Amino acid sequence: MMERNERKPYWRHTKMQMLASLLPFVLAMIVLPLYAEALNEKRILGIPLGYFLACHGLAVIGFVTIAVFVNRQDAIDHWHGAHEDF
Amino acid sequence: MAITARTRLVNPRLGTYFGIFTAAFAALFVLALMFEQLGASDGLLRLLMFGGPIVLYAAIGLSSSATEARDFFACGRRVPAFFNGLVLGITALGGAGFLALTGSLFMIGFDAVCLSIAFYAGLVFMGVLFAPFVRKHGAYTLPTFLGRRFESRTVRIVAAAVLSVPILLLLAAEARFAAYAAAWLLGQSERLMAPLVVACAAGIVITGGMRSLTWSSVAQAIAALLALAVPATIIALMVSNLPLPQMTHGNVLRIVTRAEIVNGVPIVLAPPLAFDLPGAGIEPLIKRFVQSFGSVGSLSFVLMSFVAAAGIAASPTLLSRSGTTPGVYEARKSLGWAVLVSGVVLLTLPAIAVYLRAMLLEQVVGHAGDRLPMWFQLLQQAGIASVEAKAQTVRLSAIGFERDAALFALSIAAGFPQVIVYLALAGALAAAMAALAASLMAIASILSEDVVHGLSGETASEAARVGTARLALLGAAFVTIGLAIALPADPLQLFLWSLTLSAATSFPVLLLAIWVKRVNAWGALATMFTGLVVTIFMMLLGEAGAVDTSSALAGAVGLPLALAAGLVASRMTPAPERSALDTVREMRVPGGETLYDRELRLLRLKNRTQT
Repeated sequence: MMERNERKPYWRHTKMQMLASLLPFVLAMIVLPLYAEALNEKRILGIPLGYFLACHGLAVIGFVTIAVFVNRQDAIDHWHGAHEDF
Repeated sequence: MAITARTRLVNPRLGTYFGIFTAAFAALFVLALMFEQLGASDGLLRLLMFGGPIVLYAAIGLSSSATEARDFFACGRRVPAFFNGLVLGITALGGAGFLALTGSLFMIGFDAVCLSIAFYAGLVFMGVLFAPFVRKHGAYTLPTFLGRRFESRTVRIVAAAVLSVPILLLLAAEARFAAYAAAWLLGQSERLMAPLVVACAAGIVITGGMRSLTWSSVAQAIAALLALAVPATIIALMVSNLPLPQMTHGNVLRIVTRAEIVNGVPIVLAPPLAFDLPGAGIEPLIKRFVQSFGSVGSLSFVLMSFVAAAGIAASPTLLSRSGTTPGVYEARKSLGWAVLVSGVVLLTLPAIAVYLRAMLLEQVVGHAGDRLPMWFQLLQQAGIASVEAKAQTVRLSAIGFERDAALFALSIAAGFPQVIVYLALAGALAAAMAALAASLMAIASILSEDVVHGLSGETASEAARVGTARLALLGAAFVTIGLAIALPADPLQLFLWSLTLSAATSFPVLLLAIWVKRVNAWGALATMFTGLVVTIFMMLLGEAGAVDTSSALAGAVGLPLALAAGLVASRMTPAPERSALDTVREMRVPGGETLYDRELRLLRLKNRTQT
């Protein structure tokens, strides 16, 4: 169980982690589709780059975002002693 | 009960069980393939591919019955992260993802990617913003969670009423998709199949509630993934020698792009706020595949991906599933698996769309109207495709195609055995049934927990709670059948309305409940009320043509207004009670006992000392 005075730093840390996870992803969600047309000149694996980034790239970014979030948030939980005691 | 070894909670043989299911499903498919080669009748094959999987799901669902409330509403909290994520990913996609999204990608190419972005972005948002906290609280339904967080029965009842709206729309949409797949699978009319599929979905989950739902949905998810992978992988092997359609459709895409230029498909640019997804029924193909913003404008594209993502992130159907994991860490991890599963599916769908488009452009467009390939004539006879001018050479703009048929039309176009076509349909049916059953379960638990027993506290006996939920499930099934037959709208439109409404009601109130401590019951009521009213008003305006925005984008107006209303209303009213603040503080910390379970345990102790 976590100490009472750890609550505030724990929550501040958690909030920062939430922003650090979501902001880059949200930015990519806005930027990549909007500039897809301009990037379609180049190709990767034969697939136009803009389409590739908006479709495959965002999916990979999404998965990396959530994987990093799970890992980091778990580290934060352990750092502050807020983890589940299994 | 707080501290139990994780290994004791999770059944170690789950992998074996679902290995057996996968083998049985594959055997069924191979058996049907052999029967076809041996000359079995078409009716028998259809029945085998429709009935066989459903018997398997029903066997799983009926054998995992539940009598305790914890099992019935939260699957005993022992679903490992991987299985939970698998079900979440496929349930989020549902029939809309498998049938309508493939078709939309096929018809408008890049512009439909806004929906695929929304699916996995929604799951990312859910994992970061909501799922761990809802799991820590452990309430069986979202209205219970909100009622406990704001310590108000009014909030609980209002939330139950408001959140039912998106669930009902989702039910209608998924019932229509399931009926559509079943109708093609059995060769019957859609109206006839709607009661059948809803009855099957309800029958599978009625004995075990969430327990039956979880394990039968895992089976459905495996079936859906296999059914999607088989035709796409075979075609990928044929065109590129690599069994990875997600990565190797580039060369085919190049052929498609070149053929579109040769055939003079125009580059159209839609105004920023245009939102023109293909409707149900036969629609013309007018847009180049890779070109962006031809039917969905740039602003609409971004707005739609956010609104639909918010709708999925806060969907009451999906969020109630986070309560089934053994702990907060597993709840987070399950969302990671869900993003992976849905990501793999969402990368396969464009490959299918590209393959089908390439076949159409190479073998139909530019050929004489009276000498079209066999498969296209089959599609025409089935009413899936049409060509306007008969005599001259066929132009792409003259071809019409039915949106939801693209997924299984690929197998017809590639000249595969009929059983592979039925396999694709069975997979879409499985995904739609998983989503249908999840929504039925969500609305049944809301009806029983929050509407019937919500006013009396948690004093009802376990048997009464489970019994009421079963009755509610039956009632919800009848309502769904009625909605599926009565609502005339396009099922994709119903699905988008459901997402936009849940984005404007459920998303802001959950965001405030978890992330802003200062918000009180008045703020919650203001949020839900504003979100619902503004969104419905915008939807009506959009449908009537009074504003330029599509009704599916109404949530983009409702969401920020609802957030603002909630914050302002909370500021103007007294701060929440100390006990409510304690709930929020405890909810935010993963360690310690699940709040709802502790409450029930203390209540049981109190009742025991009284008697």
